[in-house]
Amino acid sequence: MRQIEIITAGPHTSIQDAGRIGHQALGVPEGGALDPVSMRFANALVGNALGQSVLEVCMGGLTFRPITDCRIALTGTKDGYLSLQDETGFNLDVPSYRSVAIKAGRLVRLGILPDSNTATIAIAGGFDLPLLFDSMATSPNAMIGGVEGRLLKDGDMIALGDDETPDMAEFQLAPPEDHNGPIRIVYGPQDDRFTAAAKENLITTPYQITPVLNRMGMRLDGMALAHIDNADIPSDGIVKGSIQVPGNGIPIILMADHQTTGGYTKIATVISADLPKLARMRPGQSITFQSISVNQAEEIAKKTEHDVVQAIHAMMPAPPIIDTAALYGLGDTT
Amino acid sequence: MVQYDITLNLNLRIEQVLIPNATELKLDMKITDHNIENIDIINASDQGVLISFANFDPQDAILLSRVLGQKILENAQAGVLDAIPGMNNLLICYDCLTVSHQQIVKLALDLALGIDSDSHQDSRLWRLPVCYGDAFGLDLDDVAAQKGLTADDVINRHLANELTVAIMGFLPGLAYMKGVDDSLYVPRRSSPRQHVPALSLGIAMDQTVIYPLASPGGWNLIGRVPFRPFDPDRADPVLFRAGDRIRFHAINKAEYDDLYQAAANGEDIITCEITSKQSTGKQSTGKQSIEAK
Repeated sequence: MRQIEIITAGPHTSIQDAGRIGHQALGVPEGGALDPVSMRFANALVGNALGQSVLEVCMGGLTFRPITDCRIALTGTKDGYLSLQDETGFNLDVPSYRSVAIKAGRLVRLGILPDSNTATIAIAGGFDLPLLFDSMATSPNAMIGGVEGRLLKDGDMIALGDDETPDMAEFQLAPPEDHNGPIRIVYGPQDDRFTAAAKENLITTPYQITPVLNRMGMRLDGMALAHIDNADIPSDGIVKGSIQVPGNGIPIILMADHQTTGGYTKIATVISADLPKLARMRPGQSITFQSISVNQAEEIAKKTEHDVVQAIHAMMPAPPIIDTAALYGLGDTT
Repeated sequence: MVQYDITLNLNLRIEQVLIPNATELKLDMKITDHNIENIDIINASDQGVLISFANFDPQDAILLSRVLGQKILENAQAGVLDAIPGMNNLLICYDCLTVSHQQIVKLALDLALGIDSDSHQDSRLWRLPVCYGDAFGLDLDDVAAQKGLTADDVINRHLANELTVAIMGFLPGLAYMKGVDDSLYVPRRSSPRQHVPALSLGIAMDQTVIYPLASPGGWNLIGRVPFRPFDPDRADPVLFRAGDRIRFHAINKAEYDDLYQAAANGEDIITCEITSKQSTGKQSTGKQSIEAK
């Protein structure tokens, strides 16, 4: 049976895919990869469909052991790398944004991410787990998807799907550079419930990402945003990137596992193109916001998508990784 | 002794009975060229368009949101990802690589125009068992004390009204059921519980919720139900829909244990009566049983 064994799960590792689209009217969260662009790149590198299930590793600290030969790829971090280790302790480091075929029994380790808060590891064939509303994505707070609806833990054995292209060559790709500027927002839906000073503060003063962050949202620290009267609204639906401001004025950016509806004011919404970058940002980092129009946001989304598709089309064969241990027959468990 | 194991796969079957002339919430108005201007259009960046009926009567607003949501999903316009009814609004989620927000706004207004009292979905009435009090109703005495009532008064008043599912949200399958008797109006608990057991029934304001899963929560717990509003292993995992009508009846602990076990064994334990409008507009009667696995 094709499967992997989770040796050390790390603090916040889960199975993700493109999420559950179209069921929020039943209270079923959309969920899915925090960084869907990195998910698509990782899947492309190992020959998977782009929305196939992957490992999402927040903060890092994951070690697993494939029980079968398989091909994997790491994305979402430029400086992070996969460390392959056999039973003799022999180590081989493999950079991100390339595929690598590994022998059964190797340990695959991803250390603490040096430059990103969210990395993605795709395995050829994806995972073989139950589907709920056509998705395996884990929403831990809703207790659905992935392995028993929860984050992965040490000792989990997870079945893999069939690798359709086991003899594929290795590939590498160059991800487009992140937009190097403020996080772009569109005011609303409830910006009219805030003082003019609050709206001004949001785009003129910096906000820090606090350690209070998970798949549901990230709390920011900075100038409190004052309401004209209060923070309560008749409940409405929520999109990813909504900047929700409860009564205390402290903004929270709602991420992939946001609840489907909420009763607090949302001063602005991060544009879709900047959500993957936001998902990779780390506690302590500073954010500034820039206000743009919906038309501009839609144009940026199209440009960004174009760049992503281009990067996948421009995928190149990668030089082989010489698995020296395998060469010398060390630790070969097959 | 029955173990309450929420990981158990309850093979819940739902009996549907089509009945004529059931009461239902009626939309008493129509969206015309005159009042369509009262609809507010608000953007949620390049991902959503919020159609707000805040300028309409609150009762109409909730129905308009729901009916428009239904129409949007039935219309299946490419690029429309979801339609989420809120308390007086509808959020339409779209893929801006496929459609623009202008196209979404036009679609919404086109579909809104002409919505009237005939635009409803089928009306469904659920009759649901609840075991009130004791270990299942940790806040029952507290609610009674807050309102100067006895625990039995609270139960009887909770049973008295037919509730309507206003919206779904928070957790998969969680229905916000509105219409609880005014005399039971209490706020949510000032300190939410870290762990509310699955299937707990809580009240706050004019509403009732049933927690489909164990979760943190601040509602005042007065009872528990023996069926699962959300079961990922069921063909239709989510039991309730916005617009469903709810009637509770009280059961004792022994009956609860029996029903819980019966549901676990795949027997019918709850029923849903459906008032269906056929395309001719005629009511039809009949009985059908759906095995929801």
